[in-house]
Amino acid sequence: MPQHATIMEATFTGDADLSSIAKARGRPIHKMLVSFSAAYFSGALVTDLVYWQMPDVMWERFSIWLIVAGLVLAGFAVVAFLIDLASGGQIERPALPRVVGYMFAVVLSLVNAFVHSRDGYTAVVPTGLMLSGLVFVVLSLTALVGMTLANRSRVGG
Amino acid sequence: MMRARKIAGSSKLPHLTAVLLVTVAGLGLAGCDDHAGDPKRQIGANPVLPEVQQYLMPPMRVAKVVGWGKDETPAVLQGLQVHALATGFQHPRSLYVLPNGDVLVVESNGPKAPIYRPKDIITGWVQRFAGAKAKDANRITLVRAKGDGTPELRTVFLDHLNSPFGVALVGNDLYVANTDAIVRYPYQDGQTSITAPGTKLTDLPGGPIDHHWTKALLASPDGSKLYVGVGSNSNIGENGIGAEYERAAIWEVDRASGAHRIFASGIRNPTGLQWEPETGKLWAIANERDEIGPDLVPDYLTSVQDGGFYGWPYSYYGQHLDPRIVPQRPDLVANAIVPDYALSSHVAPLGVAMYTGIGLPANFHGGAFVGEHGSWNRTPLNGYKVVFVPFSGGRPSGPAQDVVTGFLDANNHAHGRPVGLAVDRTGGLLIADDVGNTVWRVSSARPDSVSSIR
Repeated sequence: MPQHATIMEATFTGDADLSSIAKARGRPIHKMLVSFSAAYFSGALVTDLVYWQMPDVMWERFSIWLIVAGLVLAGFAVVAFLIDLASGGQIERPALPRVVGYMFAVVLSLVNAFVHSRDGYTAVVPTGLMLSGLVFVVLSLTALVGMTLANRSRVGG
Repeated sequence: MMRARKIAGSSKLPHLTAVLLVTVAGLGLAGCDDHAGDPKRQIGANPVLPEVQQYLMPPMRVAKVVGWGKDETPAVLQGLQVHALATGFQHPRSLYVLPNGDVLVVESNGPKAPIYRPKDIITGWVQRFAGAKAKDANRITLVRAKGDGTPELRTVFLDHLNSPFGVALVGNDLYVANTDAIVRYPYQDGQTSITAPGTKLTDLPGGPIDHHWTKALLASPDGSKLYVGVGSNSNIGENGIGAEYERAAIWEVDRASGAHRIFASGIRNPTGLQWEPETGKLWAIANERDEIGPDLVPDYLTSVQDGGFYGWPYSYYGQHLDPRIVPQRPDLVANAIVPDYALSSHVAPLGVAMYTGIGLPANFHGGAFVGEHGSWNRTPLNGYKVVFVPFSGGRPSGPAQDVVTGFLDANNHAHGRPVGLAVDRTGGLLIADDVGNTVWRVSSARPDSVSSIR
């Protein structure tokens, strides 16, 4: 995938200017960060489910670190997105539902991080587990809607 | 059940976030009110126990540390006076008075806490702000006072210890309870410094977590046994039940062999042990669990029954179940003992002294002084004082009375925080202050002196 090679090159080239970091060849870096954070949030659902079935603190700790890692990456994604906007990019119309859906998932995850910071069983069951599930559903729907809209009005890479 | 308004109101996040939070809360996911009741309703044998609350963000309310100004002292009840026995300590946590009147000041702090969750990082910051992360000296300093309670000699008595707390002398054997072991040292009357190497009597539950690190120590009257307060390794089992092996318990250690048995269990953090003078029964102060509300769970003072189970972590005050522990243990909970005397919630009792001296007014005779370090997760703040619980017939016989206050000022700034207590040879009450780094001495006001109430 030559496109990805270009992203990596631009990312790790020290003298690349900000706009090319944030937006290499029309494929903004925040999208990559968004994907990673979504993967972490979804991972937390898996570890929550395991904890629910087998309440060993190890799984609870995996969950909270996954959620926090997802939130940190989401923070970076927002920064990359803002740099992108500031350097003359504009939000493509089909991206708007994705932005709203993703932000909703991030806010839910922030609440989830607080719930997961409780001590003992109620850090996960039932509220934390429900929130992790809800985040997963929101992210999945967002991705689905985003893909559908992108296919309908594809403008090319 | 819905407390959405409250959450949104207390949020400083932007409008959209607030709306989303309301949505989340609207799903019935969170409860967040913090209306602390009157602590007086939670003092005595029948404390009022509200419903369990679970927080999105547990309240953290820590008094800002300002220290004592020149000539500033705590305030005492009429008829008493207080002065600094000695100052300039490094985090003095507990006190022990030797038979010749010399006072041992244990300067100590907990070992570094490991980080298992992002929350542990935040907790570390809060504790630093509260002065709880002060550098500790890991030593015991000896202070020899003249008859009037002013110091005439001060030496390093024992150095290079490992988060010591409890001290007990039996004959010529001085026992120091480090956080991970009881160590015996030879002691001769009048000695001001020990350089002889110690001998380990027994290991105690220590690291790597060591959540509640203090090990209170008390010798039996005949000297054959040592009783050790071993705190839990977590607030409420969040480090796994395996981390709680032989913790949240009072150990009975055989002085000759070092062998131990669990004398009583289910006591979350027994920070002080004393013999009740009239009945000769063992009594303990204990710190109860956090994060289920400003008025849960009241800390307590209780007699300790041999083989008794006091609830932690499964329940509190008898059969009140804690939802944070799964699997539950109904077999244990069925026999959980209700503690004798609640001190109210989050006061953090860290020192207890049954008063058998004669130096203080007669109404204090036979009762218990309790040093309340003070709350960090409750509004308004609670504790930050030394109270007196009157006893009669070997049982508490009335409401606790504030005896030494003024550690907290009107602006909720902490000048000091009381910890360990001891009664000196002439009957004065000694108070270790680990934020003011002072040892205070409370005595009867001389008839000709002015009352020291502020």
